[in-house]
Amino acid sequence: MRRFDYASPATIDDALALLAGGDGAVRPLAGGTDLLTLMKADIATPERLIDIKRLAELDDAIALDADGLSIGALATLDDLEDDPLVRQLAPALAEAAAAAASPQLRNMATIGGNLLQRPRCWYFRSSLVHCWLKGGTECQARDGENALHALFDQSPCVAVHPSDLATALVALDASVRLRGPAGERSLSLGEFFAPPTDDRRTENVLAPDELILSVRIPPPADNARGTYLKAMDRKVWAFALVGVAATVARDGDRIGAARIVLGGVAQTPWRAREAEDLLVGQRPDADLFARAADAALAGAAPLADNGYKIPLARTLIRRALAAVTADGAPPA
Amino acid sequence: MGMLTLGHRRAGMPPAPRDVVGTSPPRPDALAKVTGAARYPGDLSRPGQLHLWAVLAGRPHARILGVDARPALAHPGVVAVLTAADVPRNRFGLIEDDQPVLAEGVVRWVGERVALVAAETREAAATGARLVEVTYEDLPVVADPATALAPGTPLVQPGRPDGNLLTEVRIRRGDAAGALAGAATVLEATFTTTWQEHAFLQPEAGVAWVEDDGRVVVETAGQWAHDDRREVASTLGLPDEQVVIRYAAIGGAFGGREDLTVQPLLALAAWTLRRPVALVWDRTESMLGHPKRHPMSIRARWGVDGDGRIRGVEADLTADAGAYASTSQEVVKAATLLLTGAYRVPNVALHGRAVLTNNVPTGAFRGFGAPQAQFAAESMVARLAEAIGDDPVAFRQRNLYREGDLEPTGRPLPAGVGALATLEACAAEARRRFGIGWDGLGRVPGASSAPRQAGEAVPSAGTDGIARKRPRRGVGIACGIKNLGYSFGFPERATATVELYGRGEVERATVRIGAADVGQGVHLALRQIAADGLRLPLAAVALVADDSAEAPDAGSASASRLTLVAGRAVHDAVAAARAKWPETDDERVEATVTYRPPATTPLDPITGEGTPNYCYGYAAQAVEVEVDPATGVVRVLGVVSAHDVGRAINPRAIEGQVEGGVAQALGYALLEDFRMADGFVLTRTWDDYLLPTALDVPDEIVPLVLETADPNGPFGARGMAELPLVPFLPAVAAAIHDAVGVWLTDQPFTPERVQFALDDSPGTSARVRTPSPATSSDDGS
Ligand SMILES: Cc1cc2nc3c(=O)[nH]c(=O)nc-3n(C[C@H](O)[C@H](O)[C@H](O)COP(=O)(O)OP(=O)(O)OC[C@H]3O[C@@H](n4cnc5c(N)ncnc54)[C@H](O)[C@@H]3O)c2cc1C
Ligand code: SF4
Repeated sequence: MRRFDYASPATIDDALALLAGGDGAVRPLAGGTDLLTLMKADIATPERLIDIKRLAELDDAIALDADGLSIGALATLDDLEDDPLVRQLAPALAEAAAAAASPQLRNMATIGGNLLQRPRCWYFRSSLVHCWLKGGTECQARDGENALHALFDQSPCVAVHPSDLATALVALDASVRLRGPAGERSLSLGEFFAPPTDDRRTENVLAPDELILSVRIPPPADNARGTYLKAMDRKVWAFALVGVAATVARDGDRIGAARIVLGGVAQTPWRAREAEDLLVGQRPDADLFARAADAALAGAAPLADNGYKIPLARTLIRRALAAVTADGAPPA
Repeated sequence: MGMLTLGHRRAGMPPAPRDVVGTSPPRPDALAKVTGAARYPGDLSRPGQLHLWAVLAGRPHARILGVDARPALAHPGVVAVLTAADVPRNRFGLIEDDQPVLAEGVVRWVGERVALVAAETREAAATGARLVEVTYEDLPVVADPATALAPGTPLVQPGRPDGNLLTEVRIRRGDAAGALAGAATVLEATFTTTWQEHAFLQPEAGVAWVEDDGRVVVETAGQWAHDDRREVASTLGLPDEQVVIRYAAIGGAFGGREDLTVQPLLALAAWTLRRPVALVWDRTESMLGHPKRHPMSIRARWGVDGDGRIRGVEADLTADAGAYASTSQEVVKAATLLLTGAYRVPNVALHGRAVLTNNVPTGAFRGFGAPQAQFAAESMVARLAEAIGDDPVAFRQRNLYREGDLEPTGRPLPAGVGALATLEACAAEARRRFGIGWDGLGRVPGASSAPRQAGEAVPSAGTDGIARKRPRRGVGIACGIKNLGYSFGFPERATATVELYGRGEVERATVRIGAADVGQGVHLALRQIAADGLRLPLAAVALVADDSAEAPDAGSASASRLTLVAGRAVHDAVAAARAKWPETDDERVEATVTYRPPATTPLDPITGEGTPNYCYGYAAQAVEVEVDPATGVVRVLGVVSAHDVGRAINPRAIEGQVEGGVAQALGYALLEDFRMADGFVLTRTWDDYLLPTALDVPDEIVPLVLETADPNGPFGARGMAELPLVPFLPAVAAAIHDAVGVWLTDQPFTPERVQFALDDSPGTSARVRTPSPATSSDDGS
């Protein structure tokens, strides 16, 4: 790892002042589980780290008010997994947190850092390859080894977003509160995540001098249920091959509202709007779920090695929908 | 979990007052290892040491146009930058010295060491390594062994007699083509395996310094101190005795420490700079830096008679050797020999070759070619049984090796053939445990659960409404054979010195033998053997093993051989020392014995005739799996692992080898997917290279131990440590087939592959990945 400076300011304003004008050479440090890994591999080379764990106004609080659930940017995955409010009001998020990484990592990893973690594409993670996302001209994965890559093509980069939480949070219609030199702003996560472009080679629209303050989840609709399912190569401690978050609100014996979001298939969490439209107003049954699953993947454009993700995603969608519409308590 | 011991204790040996052999005293190194007190090579330091950092090529094939060390040397703290020109004799290698310590003119794989930076601090060394400016001209990359022999393919090591063909083996007996033409049923299939990374916990590291008497001491980890010494001394152009190799605690090895990695770099820097030096690799350097298990592609044709006897086998394997020889020649011989598994086959035509590429070199890994070869052999046996409507156990019972049978090389097997006994013990226990049986065996009394139909759906909590896609259970069984000890005429011996001390009676003893305890517990086993022979308590037997100057050569910790060969040397040296004791009034006697097992021979280059081995180990494993057909996820629920160990010197150590071996085999079967693309390693950390966790490994691992005495081993003991890796992969393949009806032929059985095998509808390809012969697309900047 290269030498770097370290600062531990006391207030957000101090932190923002340190970030201002740094243009990427100054980075906030939360749990460090992604940033330090990238630095050790010589992929991120910040000159200065601003520790945001001691900022007076930034916290890990999880609180409920009329606008829903507010989660401080420093809340750890472990906090989310165990919090009674999250488990009750946003079980998909608790399940996503529990399915992520390992217990040791979940103790350190924050929700803010989780949403900002960089892709796991092996070319990206190798210091030997200067791929497009790192400022190069070529995506080595597109015609190379792409078994873990995207089914939906929205960028020169075909890496997938690695976050389990992001998938669940989009399904929960969550938003992030940001603060930068110009003040605060709120963005829905659907707006926050954006496929990288030639001018912005990141997976979101956060400015380099902005901080995530908190995440907000609106109050769930009546009769709403949600779940997060994840397929991975190993029983635990692996990134999603495909993740599916589904939230469904019942309207009598029909589906009133539905959100289906896929992880591991695109550069951002991928909303399956066709599937959502197909579900609304219908009576839940296996045939409907199968048609929704087919609709969700209808536009998929597999690369050479990742076609297996299509049936996998279909299966997870069917299972998730079955779980959130089954009578009685949702399966654990 | 308890271990079941079957068979009989060795007869004719009066019970010792303390029956130290056959008991499981606590491992003396265990406490320090679990508390963190043990000192591994990365924990060592020497006063006044310099820190080293190796500059790796970072590209698979390139000409070195120039190395400019000036920017590095200008960095504060950097003391020296060593290159090929600084190495007195720039070649090393276990079998063939084809590898440079520091690259000379060309780099042939991504982990090749190009320069060595020495600095006052680790940070300065790291920065210095980044500042060394190497100018390269990239060369075409040979990445696919399947095309590496095609005319016009660039040569990995120009000047070799056979181009990119490193080695070729042929074994022929009878008339395989004729036998297959006349066989009642013939099956053919192709199997592929990929690299496996040893993933030992402790990456390569060490310290080195020069003593006042001019000896270079390298303190590190390895598997054979005396051969490390030979190779290191040769790179420095020094006599062997002027180099001392010492081993600190060894954090796992599995074959991955057989080849030199950091040792010649440490020795070179200490010798050249006359300062103590330290070098510690990180995980990525380790994953790039040492040879892996060979990827192999195996095509097999097997034929059976109408009466269910195997008539003939034709098989052909190609192994990717990577850029340098390492032990590839030996691995390919061993693998080719075992292409027929533990089966009597009158007509064989076996062909194996290892091919040079610009991929990471491949070499020794627990099993040494046996797991790949028997993935093919055992899968073919299971498929043949299925094809002729036979039971997989009964078919094996009919065809397995018996005492006195001929090997493919035309000579009788060494005595102590435990193939049938291990299979039958395993099948009976599996039937009891998993409640599913194979017809040939009859019902076992006391079976706990009712027999269940294979492929029966497991009641599942979910309600996805698609019954055929529910998780299904299946059971599979496979056998395994693996040579114990060196093969094909490689000099095989171990030397032990035993010193006895006491007045009148022998009160204590010191055993000297340079055997590496890589975690397998051989140091304790050797002390148990000595204590038993001396009728002394274990505490009265000291062992000196980890210093090439203080202990004689035992050979390597490999081929499951130390308990057998080093154990016998200790056993015999104890006997020799004891014989001297009554004849002297001295308070100290000493005896040194070199044990040489029965000789083996190289194979005839045309027919393959010869005596390849003096001892084999036999095992059988049964596994129960659950397969989710909709996601392709395979979970192993239980394992029965039966081993004929000759004699269990330390039963708990055997249990540990079985459990650890099964975990490693499970990773190989289901998870570990080492990937390279165009000569670049994609799986560079354990984030990408998935190893099994405690949750992936089943709670139920049942070791079954049989004791058919080996004629040569101490107390009848033979080795066993590699065997858990041998039958596992085909046993899982059979279990998956039992559960969902498809045969997998490409290792590892990842969810993608399982799913692909089940659902090969268009657009869902999970193509089998063998690196394609492309030119490197990035400049590696
Ligand atoms: C082995 C391994 C396995 C993993 N498996 C999974 C998995 O299965 N699922 C999953 O979802 N994740 C997984 N992760 C990723 C892990 O969850 C993230 O690394 C973690 O959540 C990042 O949080 P952190 O607090 O450590 O962030 P850091 O590493 O400290 O920061 C990450 C990035 O976010 C920036 N940042 C952090 N907080 C803020 C803030 N408040 N405002 C602005 N910028 C900020 C940092 O500057 C940095 O760029 C895994 C990680 C590892 C190492
Ligand atoms: S997928 Fe993205 S991260 Fe991977 S090589 Fe292509 S551009 Fe780079």
